[in-house]
Amino acid sequence: MDRDALAAEVKQLLVTGLRLDRPPSDIPDDSPIFGDGLGLDSIDALELVVLVEDRFRVSIPDEEVGKRAFASVRALVDFIAEERQP
Amino acid sequence: MSQLVGHRVLVTGGSRGIGRAIALACAGAGAAVAFNWSRDEDGSEAEETLAVLRATGATVHGVQADVSDAEAVSRLFGSVREALGGAPDILVNNAAVTRDGLLMMLPETGWRRVLDVDLTGAYLCSRSALRGMIAGRWGRIVNVVSPAAFFGKEGASAYAAAKGGLVALTKSLAREVARYRITVNAVSPGFVDTRLIRELAEAERSELERQIPLGRFADPDEIAAAVLFLVSPAASYLTGTTLHVDGGLTML
Repeated sequence: MDRDALAAEVKQLLVTGLRLDRPPSDIPDDSPIFGDGLGLDSIDALELVVLVEDRFRVSIPDEEVGKRAFASVRALVDFIAEERQP
Repeated sequence: MSQLVGHRVLVTGGSRGIGRAIALACAGAGAAVAFNWSRDEDGSEAEETLAVLRATGATVHGVQADVSDAEAVSRLFGSVREALGGAPDILVNNAAVTRDGLLMMLPETGWRRVLDVDLTGAYLCSRSALRGMIAGRWGRIVNVVSPAAFFGKEGASAYAAAKGGLVALTKSLAREVARYRITVNAVSPGFVDTRLIRELAEAERSELERQIPLGRFADPDEIAAAVLFLVSPAASYLTGTTLHVDGGLTML
């Protein structure tokens, strides 16, 4: 899967999984996932961890990895592209 | 009794005593039930427990695992998922050890072992269980604590500290995951008629019984009944609390 398709899939997951009130195409790649970006808080992060792990077969075992993976939409796409299990 | 049909339960330290009674109550209520035990010498009791559980007709699974070991916990959850057909949506953190001794003379290894099993074990199992519970947007965690958490207990400071920590963990985690319809509660059993109590001298037994308003030790089934209530639909509005199932010993 190419990067654009993966980015689109990630954004779709954010919108449906976290019930965001905006279309996926409205989410910029550099948008921070938490705080001011998409307005999500750290407890929403728990659900995002579960959604991303299940959908993309990656492991986000702790906060350190989580901070890296969820720094922005682009960072999440990069993380998935690198860590994804075949 | 079929209130837990379709649910998957993991009871840690479930080969005997209170843990076995909890596992049996959940199996009797229709759940698929897994339990673990840790020490080699408890293997034969674990076999007996498996046989008793199987007799209920439930799907059951028993596996040896030390809950204080992160890798062992990861393997435990893997084997439970496989055996029960999915991740547990009900977790009972019951596994515990104690190390008697006055604090000033308690070796650090003893202190650490108690904290590792009783408190870190609950942390490791809860974090493994939560992923499945959050995905399913439903879950029940019950932590088995002790009156020692509320009163302190001389000669058992590590145990009391670990159980006190587990009460605080119960409340904090309850706040963190309430949004996902996951409740986290504790049950505090008083003196239960298990091997430990039966081994006491008669005079000690009656002295203990005098301290209990209901005047007798608990049957393990009476503790299991409280756990069963907390994981049942009837307890959907309880979270972060402790049920003191202790014959009136505590009365907080």
